[in-house]
Amino acid sequence: MLARPGLPQFEYVRATTSVGVHDLLSTANARLLMGGTDLFTQMRDGVWRPRVVVDVKHIPGMQDITMDPGGLTVGAAVTMNQLARHPAVQRLYPALAQAASSVGSFQLRNRATLGGNLCNASPCADTAPAVAALEAILVLSGPAGQRETPFYDFVLGPGRTVVGTDEFLIGIRFPAQPAGSAGCYLKLGRSRMGDLSVVGVAVVAFRDLAARSGYRFRLALGSVAPVALRVPAAESLLAAEPPHETNLAAAADLAMHAAVPISDVRATAIYQTLMVRTLTLRALESAWAQLQGAGR
Amino acid sequence: MSVHPIAVTINGKAEYLEVPAHMTLLQMLRDRLALTGTKNGCEAGECGACTVLLDGQPVNSCLVLAVEVDGRQVVTVEGLAQDGTLSGLQQAFIEHNAVQCGFCTPGMLISSQALLARNPSPDEDAIKEALLGNLCRCTGYGRIIQAIQDVARGGGAS
Amino acid sequence: MSGLSTVGKSVLRIDAHDKVTGAAVYADDLQFGPGLYYGRLVRSPHAHALIIKVDASRALALPGVKAVVTGRDTPTRIGLYLKDRTIFALDRARMVGDPVAGVVATSEEIAEEAARLVEVKYEELPAVFDPVVAIQPDAPLIHPDLGEYEVVPFIFPQPGTNISEHFKLRRGDVEAAWPRCAAIIEGTFRLPPIQHVPIEPHVAVALWELSGQVSLWTCSQSPFAQRDLIAQSLGIPHGNLRVIAPYVGGGFGGKAGVSMEAAAVAMARAVKGHPVKLRMTREEEFICTTARQSLVANIMIGCDDQANLLAMEVAYYFGGGSSNEYGVNIARAAGYSCTGPYLVPNVKGDSYCVYTNTPIGSAMRGFGMPEIHWGIEQIMDQLAEKVAMDPAEFRRRNCVKTGRTILTGMEMPAIDLVACIDKVTQAIQWEKRPPASAPHKKRGKGLAIMWKAPAMPPNPGSSAMVRFNEDATVNVEIGAQDLGQGAFTVLAQIAAETLGVPYEWVRISVPVDTKYSPYEWQTVASRITWSVGNAVRAAAGDARQKILAVVAEHWHEDPADLDIRDGAVVSFKSEREQPLQNMVVYGLPNDDFEGWKGGPVVGSGKFMPTYVTNLDFETGQGTRAVVHYTVGAQAVDLEVDTETGQVEVLKIASAYDVGKAINPDLVLTQIEGGAVHGLSSAYEAIRLDAQGRPLNANLVDYRIATIADIPREIHGDIVETPLEDGPWGARGVGEHVMVQTAPAIANALYDALGVRFSELPLSAEKIFMALHGS
Ligand SMILES: Cc1cc2nc3c(=O)[nH]c(=O)nc-3n(C[C@H](O)[C@H](O)[C@H](O)COP(=O)(O)OP(=O)(O)OC[C@H]3O[C@@H](n4cnc5c(N)ncnc54)[C@H](O)[C@@H]3O)c2cc1C
Ligand code: FES
Ligand code: FES
Repeated sequence: MLARPGLPQFEYVRATTSVGVHDLLSTANARLLMGGTDLFTQMRDGVWRPRVVVDVKHIPGMQDITMDPGGLTVGAAVTMNQLARHPAVQRLYPALAQAASSVGSFQLRNRATLGGNLCNASPCADTAPAVAALEAILVLSGPAGQRETPFYDFVLGPGRTVVGTDEFLIGIRFPAQPAGSAGCYLKLGRSRMGDLSVVGVAVVAFRDLAARSGYRFRLALGSVAPVALRVPAAESLLAAEPPHETNLAAAADLAMHAAVPISDVRATAIYQTLMVRTLTLRALESAWAQLQGAGR
Repeated sequence: MSVHPIAVTINGKAEYLEVPAHMTLLQMLRDRLALTGTKNGCEAGECGACTVLLDGQPVNSCLVLAVEVDGRQVVTVEGLAQDGTLSGLQQAFIEHNAVQCGFCTPGMLISSQALLARNPSPDEDAIKEALLGNLCRCTGYGRIIQAIQDVARGGGAS
Repeated sequence: MSGLSTVGKSVLRIDAHDKVTGAAVYADDLQFGPGLYYGRLVRSPHAHALIIKVDASRALALPGVKAVVTGRDTPTRIGLYLKDRTIFALDRARMVGDPVAGVVATSEEIAEEAARLVEVKYEELPAVFDPVVAIQPDAPLIHPDLGEYEVVPFIFPQPGTNISEHFKLRRGDVEAAWPRCAAIIEGTFRLPPIQHVPIEPHVAVALWELSGQVSLWTCSQSPFAQRDLIAQSLGIPHGNLRVIAPYVGGGFGGKAGVSMEAAAVAMARAVKGHPVKLRMTREEEFICTTARQSLVANIMIGCDDQANLLAMEVAYYFGGGSSNEYGVNIARAAGYSCTGPYLVPNVKGDSYCVYTNTPIGSAMRGFGMPEIHWGIEQIMDQLAEKVAMDPAEFRRRNCVKTGRTILTGMEMPAIDLVACIDKVTQAIQWEKRPPASAPHKKRGKGLAIMWKAPAMPPNPGSSAMVRFNEDATVNVEIGAQDLGQGAFTVLAQIAAETLGVPYEWVRISVPVDTKYSPYEWQTVASRITWSVGNAVRAAAGDARQKILAVVAEHWHEDPADLDIRDGAVVSFKSEREQPLQNMVVYGLPNDDFEGWKGGPVVGSGKFMPTYVTNLDFETGQGTRAVVHYTVGAQAVDLEVDTETGQVEVLKIASAYDVGKAINPDLVLTQIEGGAVHGLSSAYEAIRLDAQGRPLNANLVDYRIATIADIPREIHGDIVETPLEDGPWGARGVGEHVMVQTAPAIANALYDALGVRFSELPLSAEKIFMALHGS
């Protein structure tokens, strides 16, 4: 009923190469460890009682951020602070940087990782909407080698992902963003900062001549559905007609109608639903202002 | 249960210990090394009373395994004063009455020290961002902000 | 009063150096070596259930387990005002988290595993969570044996009901007064239970030696009260029970009285010779220690067309939780102060403490006052609006004033509440209503005032000793505790001032240890500066007189011509000077060394209020209900985001009449910290599900104010109207500083939005929904 003091017993394995990790995962009652900020609290709560904890953050590449013409690759064990202060991430993927910097507290973000946030698959994971809007590809390591899966297929529901028992996440690939793209992540908690999100909204926007409006918006919502939710209706609306005040409001309305939150100790479903509109509108306006600023 | 030998530098001093896998850094500091300045307020990453520097970065020591700090540097509140002289932040906390019950103080000092190391002249918002994860029930935080600003004006934490 | 050298000066805290270096020792920091055992408690998963059977055999079989203690081992009831609980639940669990058994083992880990192996068979009973439901005749009875419980003479439980205390106040004739009112406002106000949330969770270590000597190390506001209650309950001679209280990491009332400490002692009895450590996790701290009681308040107040208050009728129902041993006196305090800080000629007040199957309600900063002011202070604003008077002016007119008769028939001791109102209205620029910073925001200002008396038995005592060392440094022995409020510093100042020595020469002999420290009732009720201050002043005065007598004899002068200044005895007459060094221990040689006079100087002193009288059971009337009141005012300036309901408090201005600020900056730190605590409390609630299980027993979902939530500006003012029997006129202020913050915010929200909130907690969601309709 109440959390235990301290962690239950387990064995600790520090992996420095992926060799052997898959075997260990498939044979032992094991849990993967990166920052531990979810794992340890959940172990105190009795959610997990693994025999072995496999620390995979020291496997080469897991803590690296690399940029190439194809885009950005973030090692699964890159911490939120690493992401948030990375100049290229801030410049080209502002929604991701802002989402990362909105997680918990500064000292927590020194441990909490992007991969851990995604694998934990909480509906209120702050980076999930940004990762969804940026159409990231997740790279998994398995006994047969690596496989890739788009983020929209990755999370199956609260706490559930497609990661197999003998697999682990090694990295997240973000496609290159068109020049001058804009983005932001807005989060509403119960207090001014530092809370889990009651609603999170990520917007990514860029010029796209293929779109009738000349612009493409990608919009994803957090905390208001079992998984981060893209809102295709709103995105099509803004691709069809050039953004202006009423359009943005209409898109925000569509987002509100897409949300399917449930009431919990943090907020009622109705408040969350209404806040989707407020936050979406603010996020769209912010992205639109950025685009216009960049256009001048 | 596995037990691991580790070598860790704590407040500049090399320590060699055998730690069970499930021991947290917080438990190691308090129960093994009697470095009780680092406090346990929640064991869940929520209060910040257990904040220490790990390779110069503040972390919640309740969410770090002792075995993970093998080969690394840890600084606790006991390591802030140098040769018996209080750090600028410690002195400022005293002078601004930024201390009441004192239970949050070690964590506050560690977070503040780390802040000034990465940003020698933080504005109020930067201080708030840096100390968001350090709860204090007594002071109302205002004096803590003043103490940090005072040190920043004086040229950074010593 | 001029010429004070230490009192009235903002000297630095005596404990700060220890606290910034990590050297300050708190209960969990004490080292006991490898012989230390650990305890964990088995807790009821049911809000209300009969305990049919406790089977510890599987737990006892676990290697490392040393003992399991159950209710059968601790059958004697315990409690401060009403002995209504046992250390471990005996035949009935009355809340989720009620301790049913305690496991002692060689490690906390083993104790935890073993606690999960203790099998308890329950028979569930219907539970009740709301005090208004619990007073209904058909409500499940939580304490069927209420009539058998031992109770102090001024508390009145009603056996056969869930009512553990009913305080009645009757003054004037309300029925006759209502028709004369030009404006009447009536409302029901609700507050949820909230928690103290000290950053240090409860810890206790107990050692029961084979000799029968028992020691208890614990984070405590009440070492002496704990000694008394635990000694009585476990049959330990008081002289054999030693309670040692190191630094406390925040108390706010949560570490007053007895909560989990008694369990540690009972568990130590089962493993004599081994210290046993019991510590609460944060999750347990939330629901298994104590909480502030919930309240449902029905309030009706009326005034004439000149805005003079005429009548007030209140019914307060405190949801006291599963034990009301301490909470009964909160209901009583709310009863005898039920009007708030106002002069009302006709009053009918009923204040009830009611058992509920929720966490134990107990002392918390403000002791009933934040709860009742929440409603009163909103209605005063509504009345002011109805008679078209400025709320500040309305309060100036009707608030309590020196010498006026208040609701209990007592004459109001000297205070200046109008000055407090003036200070905060000035600081907040009350007459100005600047626009909000953005079109979607609304801005408003609100005001609230308060009073609070120390709530305690009529005769809580304080005592102090002063001992000189060879170099004339002084050890001051007290039984009072520093919870962060600065008591040790202020008491050292009082000793230094009285003795005529520099502040730097004074040491406070801590940790408090009931074996060596002089008696103190409890560190509660904002009574330390006043009561212990008086005791220290008396002890230091005693030592001073002893020194002067020796020196006067030595110099063949009159002690009346001598004084101690800056650590030396001086004579106004002969202008001779005798440093205190050495003579305060060795005395002084007679002329020509023909013998000696004097010797080690030890001063002792005590203080106990002797003038508090009984109150009539039917009317609550009496000559002197309380020792005194501290009063104050707060004003709030805030802005609401109408699109989210989020509130930003721009400024809180506070002013309190502390009589005399012994250390002005420490008073300001109380005022500032209290304003944030008060702001935070408006958003806090312990949430339980329909079965009484906690929904938010952690710091993520029970949010307390972080550094990002504080007002942009926190302003404090000190008013000094001396208290007749306070040291240099001082009275306490530790609790008062958060009493009226929540209603001040509510009044500001009304100013901004035109919407009233009668129920706490506030939340962005609640505010948004109220603005936009459900
Ligand atoms: C006080 C507090 C506040 C918080 N605030 C926020 C917040 O504001 N926003 C937010 O989004 N989150 C918040 N969190 C949750 C948490 O910090 C984040 O989800 C974090 O990003 C998790 O990362 P981690 O590295 O710590 O994960 P870990 O705890 O190490 O792992 C998380 C989960 O993923 C599994 N896992 C680990 N590595 C892998 C891998 N390579 N492949 C597959 N599975 C793996 C683990 O077994 C575990 O189940 C908070 C947590 C705490 C304690
Ligand atoms: S003890 Fe680590 S954050 Fe509270
Ligand atoms: S000083 Fe008490 S918690 Fe900060």
